[in-house]
Amino acid sequence: MGIEKMIYIYGAICFSMIVFNVVYNVLLKRREPRLTRRCEEIEKKVESQLKAIRAGGTVAPEHLIDLQRRLRRINNLIAFDRVLKPIFEGNYEEIGKGYLRQIQPVILSLAVRYQKRDNMQAAYFSYFLSRYTAKRQMPMDSVQDILLEYVKKDNLYCRVNALQALYAFGNIEHIVTALRIQDDGKVFLHEKILTEGLLSFTGNHDELIRRLWKNLDTFSEHTQLAILNYIRFQTGVYAKEMFAVMQDETRGKELRLSAIRYFGRYFYEPALEPLLAFVLEKDPSYWEYATVSASALARYSGERVIDALKEALHSSNWYVRYSAALSLDAHQVNYTDLIDVVAGNDRYAREMITYRLETRELQKASV
Amino acid sequence: MMDAFKLFFIYVGIFFILYMIGYASFLFLSVTVGSSTLYQIKRRNWLKNELLQDYYVPVSILVPAHNEEVTIETSIRSLLALKYTLYEIIIVDDGSDDNTAKILQEAFHMQQVSRPIQRKISCQPEEAIFETYQFKVPITLICKKKGGKADALNMGINVARYPYFICMDADSVLQFDSLEKIVRPVIEEGNIVAVGGSIRPCNGTEIQNGRVISYSLPDKILPCMQVLEYDRSFLAARILFDQFNGGIIISGAFGLFKKSVVIDAGGYDSSMMGEDMELVVKLHAFCREHDIPYRIRYASDAICWTQAPEKWSDLFKQRRRWHIGLFQSMMRHRKMLMNPKYGMVGMISYLYFLIYELFSPYIEVFGLITIVLAFAVDLINVPFMILFFAIYVVYSAILSLTAFFARIHTIDLKLTMRDVFKAFGLCILEVGGMRWILAWIRATALIGYKKKGRTWGKIERKQIKFK
Repeated sequence: MGIEKMIYIYGAICFSMIVFNVVYNVLLKRREPRLTRRCEEIEKKVESQLKAIRAGGTVAPEHLIDLQRRLRRINNLIAFDRVLKPIFEGNYEEIGKGYLRQIQPVILSLAVRYQKRDNMQAAYFSYFLSRYTAKRQMPMDSVQDILLEYVKKDNLYCRVNALQALYAFGNIEHIVTALRIQDDGKVFLHEKILTEGLLSFTGNHDELIRRLWKNLDTFSEHTQLAILNYIRFQTGVYAKEMFAVMQDETRGKELRLSAIRYFGRYFYEPALEPLLAFVLEKDPSYWEYATVSASALARYSGERVIDALKEALHSSNWYVRYSAALSLDAHQVNYTDLIDVVAGNDRYAREMITYRLETRELQKASV
Repeated sequence: MMDAFKLFFIYVGIFFILYMIGYASFLFLSVTVGSSTLYQIKRRNWLKNELLQDYYVPVSILVPAHNEEVTIETSIRSLLALKYTLYEIIIVDDGSDDNTAKILQEAFHMQQVSRPIQRKISCQPEEAIFETYQFKVPITLICKKKGGKADALNMGINVARYPYFICMDADSVLQFDSLEKIVRPVIEEGNIVAVGGSIRPCNGTEIQNGRVISYSLPDKILPCMQVLEYDRSFLAARILFDQFNGGIIISGAFGLFKKSVVIDAGGYDSSMMGEDMELVVKLHAFCREHDIPYRIRYASDAICWTQAPEKWSDLFKQRRRWHIGLFQSMMRHRKMLMNPKYGMVGMISYLYFLIYELFSPYIEVFGLITIVLAFAVDLINVPFMILFFAIYVVYSAILSLTAFFARIHTIDLKLTMRDVFKAFGLCILEVGGMRWILAWIRATALIGYKKKGRTWGKIERKQIKFK
């Protein structure tokens, strides 16, 4: 009897699976036509409001009420996004901006509503904001305050989309606060995401960097690294500060390496001595400093630099030798200048520089 | 004597009931979790819950090749068509007897260089190295002494410039966005040491510039059944194991690895036939033994198209090879079995693979012999047995179809009615026929496997319809 019951149970599972397959298939097939219908309905309403704006009028209060009611549903918000997209991609951006400005109260109320929704819907709403209101430089302080709440959610996409919207709004105060919120360690945000995001900031970068630098030590090392990388890609005027980071032995390795990379991007005379010291460091545990410094020295000229790089070719570490060879190549050092290495006893140094010279020829041939 | 038989059959019956409950429950769980995860991903993408900007992690693609003159040029051209910018291609020709190296040199205008190789993992020595910079990304060809696929991959790791590498088969084709998708978990989560890609049989599929132009089930029955089997057994199960960081298989046809961790763990074991599975189990063991926080993920949307064998003999070869690889990996890491030190990997994944993958062919063949024996001594309820078998077939077939349709729906592929009917019919045939044939093949796989040694598992391939 027990066995039979079990068979019935598995039979029921089979049956429910069939039902699931059929229902899902039907729902999926209907989704796109339903969305198209929704788009058509919303488009008609938006179009009539745009006409009114073109004629110098304003958005009708009934439209605001209607939008507020409709856009509570995520599928209507998706349809609304599809309706707005061609407006902003076409020649109607200015009118579109005017329209968005007038429906701000609706967006604000939706921001509050979607904040309470599940993370996926909240993430979609912040994506919507980053596309329309934020990118269009619409000053909506209240929305930005609410976006900070979105950054607090334990969901990567919600955080990333909300941060993206905040970068687009361009308010420094909110960015600093948002970075501090995301630094709570609940959700991993790769430093590339943070750096790329900061680089997309639409406000005053100099002021943002000044504020971030002032508060640098209040962030986790992970966020500090993203900020240092952002500064490296954005400006060359932080050499003095970066120099301090590079020389500070209490700082984390990645931060110091990022600072060394800064001097590979921007020439800074006082950095030369420490870079040479890193390259000539014999302690194998410092190989990463030596490797990055050897790369950075491509930007510095002089006999001492060439000598140090040639010396680095004899390093026991492959990566140091490789970086040194690349930098020597960047200095346009020719075969005769390297004859002591090429004809020398160190096979590893010889092989590396020979390979680099061969590669240079291959790369030249491919241009 | 009869009493002894009866007692024997009672115990066998109890064992099989427990075994089947375990199997049915696992199958149900994996298909349910697998399908719902696919639907969840679909919803996530629908609601723009994805990283919308391009974040590039530098990746070295390793292509081990042995006598691949028929497909190698097409494969490398497909890699050059990938929607990604920061990568390099490294082909390791493992002592080919044919013109693999020559074809590559001519097709990609490669020049010999004296590149120094940092030998962090031991492998057979290189004989010549060629490079070219005339294409979108640098291409390197290493010609080396034959040492097997694992040895070729170790050479590739030694040569790789970037912190992550991808291993793939020379006769497979990556979908245009597969690199971006397989790298995504590295950006989205910390501590990623490996990501498995999704392997799909491409028989019947037309691919242009890495994009699927037309999709239909293969015309031939054998690869068609494998399509259904892949979705039920591989796709669904891997998604389930991924939920608790318990995946212990990343196909050698497409996987991403963190180079530094693989090097620290000792690289691929060239004495193994299933080097891909062994590496993943080894990474689990290594990270746990050294208290390294880690995550091994499965990216169901990072797609690699590969040819499913179209001949029974090729399929048998492939499955024998897989089974031997499974056996070797499980034996090598037997300390993980039910060992709490290895967490869910030891308590669930290892146990599952031991019972339902490694032992299952023996159990299933034993079951069939028992049925025959019981029939001979008239101790079997034939109508009940037929009912039970029918339920089993219908149950498995429905779960196969659920996994299959979940995949089809969630990647917006359109099937013809002919394909739908074909799927219905062949899933019954797969569960009721092919599964048993393969059980026998796997059960006999270990006979004389040591003599086969480190060989390249070759099956007959056609040119993939890649334009």
